[in-house]
Amino acid sequence: MTRTEHQFVAMGGPCRLRLDHADDGTVQQAIVAAEAEVSRLEQKYSRYLPDSLTSQINHRAGTGEAIAIDPETAGLLKYADTLWRESGEMFDLTAGILRRAWDFKSGAVPDQCELDKLLPLIGWSMVAWDQQTVRLQLNGMELDFGGCVKEYACDSVAGILKQQGIHHALVDLAGDMVATGPQYDGKPWPIGIRHPDRKTQAVAEIALADGGLASSGNYERCLQIGDKRYGHILNPKTGWPTTGPVAVTVLADQCLVAGSAATVAMLKPLPEALAWLEQLGLPWLAIDAQLQCHGRITER
Amino acid sequence: MSDRKVEQNATLLALTSSALLLPGYQHAAADAPPDYTELGIRYSQYEEDDTKSSKTFGGASERYEIGIAQFHLLAPVSDDWSLALDVQYEDMSGASPWFVGESLGGDPKVIMSGASIEDSRTDVSVTTRYYYDRGNAGFNYTRSEENDYESDAIGLDASFNDSDGLTTYSAAISLSKDDIEPTQGSIQPTNTLKDEKDIRSGWIGVTRIVSKRAILRFGLGYTYREGFLTDPYKLNDRRPDERSEWAISTGYRHFFVESNAAIHVDYRYFDDDWGVSSHTVDLAWHQNIGQSSQLVPFLRYYTQDNADFFANLEDIEARYYADDYRLSAYGAFSAGLRFNYSFGDWRVNLTGERYRTSSDWGVFGGEESPALVDFWRYGIGLDYAFK
Repeated sequence: MTRTEHQFVAMGGPCRLRLDHADDGTVQQAIVAAEAEVSRLEQKYSRYLPDSLTSQINHRAGTGEAIAIDPETAGLLKYADTLWRESGEMFDLTAGILRRAWDFKSGAVPDQCELDKLLPLIGWSMVAWDQQTVRLQLNGMELDFGGCVKEYACDSVAGILKQQGIHHALVDLAGDMVATGPQYDGKPWPIGIRHPDRKTQAVAEIALADGGLASSGNYERCLQIGDKRYGHILNPKTGWPTTGPVAVTVLADQCLVAGSAATVAMLKPLPEALAWLEQLGLPWLAIDAQLQCHGRITER
Repeated sequence: MSDRKVEQNATLLALTSSALLLPGYQHAAADAPPDYTELGIRYSQYEEDDTKSSKTFGGASERYEIGIAQFHLLAPVSDDWSLALDVQYEDMSGASPWFVGESLGGDPKVIMSGASIEDSRTDVSVTTRYYYDRGNAGFNYTRSEENDYESDAIGLDASFNDSDGLTTYSAAISLSKDDIEPTQGSIQPTNTLKDEKDIRSGWIGVTRIVSKRAILRFGLGYTYREGFLTDPYKLNDRRPDERSEWAISTGYRHFFVESNAAIHVDYRYFDDDWGVSSHTVDLAWHQNIGQSSQLVPFLRYYTQDNADFFANLEDIEARYYADDYRLSAYGAFSAGLRFNYSFGDWRVNLTGERYRTSSDWGVFGGEESPALVDFWRYGIGLDYAFK
């Protein structure tokens, strides 16, 4: 039994696979398949790549021309639709357009009139889609699968590893994780949740034996102006940074579901965010603006 | 955590079920043949305890010993098909109860057949299996031969995984045609010279993943036997020529992360139109030790009611009669230990089991048969899997 660690960069961050398996041939094969799957999803859904499906959909926004989609994309749209409804219309795949107004490197807060120009272009109900096609109704609208593809990729990679018979592995795609099973000695994978301010310090350690873990946080990219901190997670209705938790971590069978639960919690004001997490019944941890921890994450 | 599935709320259910429709979650659900070839050999020895001298005429009597050798081969033949071959050879020797008579003291005692039975049995079974997106289906043919017995059986089974990825439905049917031609040995006369029986059975089941670490299953089976169901070698054995049997079964598996072990609990209820009904409870603890070993202590309790026509001493007026201990009321415990060890592509397993029976351990009242059997069983197996 050997531990293999493989690191690569994808989906906008450092990725790491840790695999405990006896057969090196199987491990190497699994690593190639895993990286290929991440790369496939990145090529397909990245909004930065001009040839991606996302770019094609966005380029045709408002032209009336529908883009043909495959069952996987239809599945993601269906999932996004479910999440939009379940989150009280807070999770919206069309909200990514607010990035045009918010430049977190500039050190400046955008004018309200800039936001007012973008807000009418946000709205899931203006996305016309079915099992075969998708069309954005207004010129200038954008779809952004960034809110779910990384988590979905994590699950998909874990599925590939399991298919190859690797049942003791941890997939980590830039902080979103799935364990296909515990470490080879049966112990769960220890995962530290970083303190929002002190980068090297963990606020909590989670034991992950299998299933997904996803975190959403405002502290990675933010604007600090005077005392006021503007996080990069934006309310799709107001265009302004959210005021709820500064970091949320959720565990679920699927990393995709964990990520959605965490993201929606970030979009809500603190009391509503805590209520949302509580009612889901998943293990969760939230940190508020005063750096107080809420929730309880037990081992899974 | 373990029961989270049960208590999850509507939002989580909506998200989870919508997520599971994505192709990224279909890896585990799609059925496929094994991508390796598996070869296995196994040998087990079954040894019945001697019948106690107090229970027989003519002193303690040695009973059955059976040596069983098994060969197993499973290989993928394409992306959608697999083929399995199973061969089993049994070598039996010893004495079996011939009939029960009354001693001078009025107790029923067994008259054994004498160490006269020597037989061997060969079973050859071929199974082809087709794998589709949501399950698999198999076709099986089995041929079984003994000196005095031949049987041909075919079976069909299929399973179907629900789109929720949590539920599997299964069904199976089988037909067998058996020919009996008792050898005319030292025990004379046999109850028939040549006869036959047919067996038809069907089974349906459902298995559900109830939480991340727990599985629950239910099954319902029906078997209909028709033909010569009497034991050809037992004196005064007269059984009906039809038998309808029902069985329901349920099982639960739960994995405990902290102990790195799983508990298996199974229960089966059986009932037939001969008046026999039975309960079986199985408990097993599958303890993983490190990465390559597993220790499995197991315990089984079995109890059955006697057949309506069972009696130790013959009633010559009765249309049907049997003194066969297998149709008497009794209870039995068996306890054993299995050890599995894997190294590379090899896997070895060792099993030891002790079975003891008593009419006092049964939950059904009834006359005790003096022929009840206790036995030891030992087994060793070796499997090899390669790509």
